[in-house]
Amino acid sequence: MQAADQPLLTTKGLTRRFGGLVAVSNLDFEIRPREILGLIGPNGAGKSTTFNLISGFYKPTAGELFVFGRNCTGKSPLAISRMGLVRTFQHGSLMRSMSVRDNILLGTIHGVGRGARRRERVAETAEMLGLTPYLADEAGTLPHGLQRLVSIGIAFAARPRLLCLDEPLTGLNQTEVANTLTVLQRIRDEFGCSVLLVEHNMKAVMSVCDRIVVLHHGQHLATGTPTEIRANGNVIDAYLGHRHGH
Amino acid sequence: MDNLKLPWWLAGTAFALAATFLVRDAYIASVVNLIAIAALTAASLRFVMLMGELNFATAAFVGIGAYATGAAITILNWPFLAALLLGGVVACLVSIVFGYITLRTKGPYFLLIGFAFTEAVRILYSKSSALGGTSGMIGIFPPAALDAWMPTFIMAVSALLIFGLYVLERSDFGKILTAIRDNENVARTVGLDILLCKIACFAAASFAAGIAGSLHAFANNVISPGDFSFLVAAFALAYVKVGGEDNVVGPVVGSVLLVILGSYALGLGGQEHIFYGGAIVLAVLALPHGVTGLAKRGFAALSGRGR
Repeated sequence: MQAADQPLLTTKGLTRRFGGLVAVSNLDFEIRPREILGLIGPNGAGKSTTFNLISGFYKPTAGELFVFGRNCTGKSPLAISRMGLVRTFQHGSLMRSMSVRDNILLGTIHGVGRGARRRERVAETAEMLGLTPYLADEAGTLPHGLQRLVSIGIAFAARPRLLCLDEPLTGLNQTEVANTLTVLQRIRDEFGCSVLLVEHNMKAVMSVCDRIVVLHHGQHLATGTPTEIRANGNVIDAYLGHRHGH
Repeated sequence: MDNLKLPWWLAGTAFALAATFLVRDAYIASVVNLIAIAALTAASLRFVMLMGELNFATAAFVGIGAYATGAAITILNWPFLAALLLGGVVACLVSIVFGYITLRTKGPYFLLIGFAFTEAVRILYSKSSALGGTSGMIGIFPPAALDAWMPTFIMAVSALLIFGLYVLERSDFGKILTAIRDNENVARTVGLDILLCKIACFAAASFAAGIAGSLHAFANNVISPGDFSFLVAAFALAYVKVGGEDNVVGPVVGSVLLVILGSYALGLGGQEHIFYGGAIVLAVLALPHGVTGLAKRGFAALSGRGR
């Protein structure tokens, strides 16, 4: 078993090419215990590719991936998820024709135990996400904001040690964003779970993340606290300057 | 698993069995056999549709079941029930190997592989002299004592297997299949072995298809490669689409309707293949949830007006 303060995830020279395009180039970063790490960058910076690499959906062209201290380079999505790294997808990360209850129940399929324990876990997860009134509803019929929460619910029902969320705030209104950020903080503080957050909503990322990794053209540009990133000249040139152009 | 609607199942099965007791006409008996076997084949096809795949290899597994039973009876002289069971077991085992290789593909790719497999297996029978070549196998008889009761027996076995598939569908395993159909990637990220689940679904459906083939062999006493072309799967698809794929009763209703109408169309000297093709097109255009869906909506409208 790894020590308590060791990183949950480490990449060493992680690289992925698609033909002539280098989507992610020689990337080194780590995710520490009990932190919310933001992964940001302009469109095409390699965020989604990085996400797919660490969750096993893509095999790296070069470099190494360590999850919970074990070398997971080239491991399948199944093997990685069973170790306790669970991800969501940017679009429709839920089962539309199933009830919210069954959606979250699916998240408990591995490693939670049997019937009663799983139902307890569903109730607990729904309560935390504010989904209890909607448990019997068909997931595909819910408003967009609630569907996003269901996606997080499925992933978090397994109580992973590292939860990776791909743009969970897209299309949410201000109240829903604030609500989701509170959920992320509770996941970190009450369950000791780290969160990797890929997100375009800068204000939200700056307010909730403990540290931020910035990608640009597939390369690592900067790592630091929100305050450090805000003050980083390279980042402002590459990215924040366009977005926070006031 | 809580609400299996058991009273309805017992009533439906009892009704079907009672109907077979009344059959004493050889032609009607053959139609009843056809309906029961068609319903079981369609239920097998629909079970794989639960995970979102159209399984044209259903036809191959019906054929494998029939030929396994035929070989067990005519070559190995196995007892009746053992030969019947062998059809399901062989189809199931072959489907596990076939599924392990092919279930990594999806959609049209999986459909086409199933289609090709069906035709390849059919050609294999016609080239194999041990299995009777193009003329097939003859003399696959059930025990003499059972001969008069074959419609009842076939109906009972079909009902039992369709019920078995229904129990699986309503269990946690059924929910996993729905999850795979809805969103395979999410199912994978929660630690589900998708391929294993797909193979399990495929194997259960193929066992049922294999038994349908065994029943076909015993009902007809004669089998030939031509009985097991891809048309078997196309017909099963027609039963599912006409009856309605949303619930397990759909394929049964579709089989009853189309086999009766199809037998009639055959009597007219019409091309039954055109008839079945037309039925699929009509059902998809006019009855998106099949006859059972229409009945459900009609019932809902009536009870709404009553209030």
